[in-house]
Amino acid sequence: MDERDISQEETKPSPTENIVQLGQTNVPQLSSDSTVHCLTIVGQIEGHIQLPPQNKTTKYEHIIPQIVAIEQNPNIEGLLVVLNTVGGDVEAGLAIAEMLASMSKPTVSIVLGGGHSIGVPIAVSCDYSFIAETATMTIHPIRLTGLVIGVPQTFEYLDKMQERVVNFVVKHSRISEEKFKELMFSKGNLTRDIGTNVVGTDAVKYGLIDEVGGLSQAMRKLRELIDHSNQQGAMLQ
Amino acid sequence: MILHTVASPFIIFQTDESEYKKQRTVYYNGIPLLVQQTETNEYEIVRLLSSDPQHYLTYEPGTKLCATSLQFMV
Repeated sequence: MDERDISQEETKPSPTENIVQLGQTNVPQLSSDSTVHCLTIVGQIEGHIQLPPQNKTTKYEHIIPQIVAIEQNPNIEGLLVVLNTVGGDVEAGLAIAEMLASMSKPTVSIVLGGGHSIGVPIAVSCDYSFIAETATMTIHPIRLTGLVIGVPQTFEYLDKMQERVVNFVVKHSRISEEKFKELMFSKGNLTRDIGTNVVGTDAVKYGLIDEVGGLSQAMRKLRELIDHSNQQGAMLQ
Repeated sequence: MILHTVASPFIIFQTDESEYKKQRTVYYNGIPLLVQQTETNEYEIVRLLSSDPQHYLTYEPGTKLCATSLQFMV
């Protein structure tokens, strides 16, 4: 214990230095590496255009290699995905969601604050999903910014993109296509937009999210899923 | 001033190129970090990009790092 503390002090800035700079101290560190990794999907999901640095963004070039590394690392048993996102680029969001859905290791997602727009497919992509009671999810149709060519094909293109999102959500959650589309196209709920803002318990009621809960419930579920997959692995051998 | 346009605000009011250069992705002791250069030529952690929760107990945003020990990505 003491030996480790000494070796860490060489690499870490001293606690007093941190206090002077920020009014923060370092928290004690556990010795072993964690078997559960955590991905945070925060701010905007960044697409092909880099957003200015004042925006908080989740970049797919960071997230996707991390998912690959987590899948490959034999020491990592499960993944917790924490969402507090306003949404963003559809293609980037769907890419992350597909990567999470195709992972062989147990995954649990938890929506805190908000999991809006393209955050919805990411939240449902995990094996089991949680939402905090106060968290919300905005379900709304896809929109296009920038140069739009006023031809019917533009609408068809958008409609196809919309179908991809709807199909993914329906496939990975208990919500029916009719219900999801009803929420997506409903009027009068959002100011200046079509759609619905679904709060914690309602998201569970509609079958979009599996359970209302916080960190402890999410971690317990993840442990449960890990134990279950370990048992299955043992049986196969 | 009202702009009647379908274009996003960030396309109309584009951020100066130098703003993008302030923040960089680096490796520090094998941990990926998003850092920002300070006026005193040090690097300050903006965000940890690691998925290992243990790393968050070692480093936290705001900690200043010496430029020589950083391994820059691109």
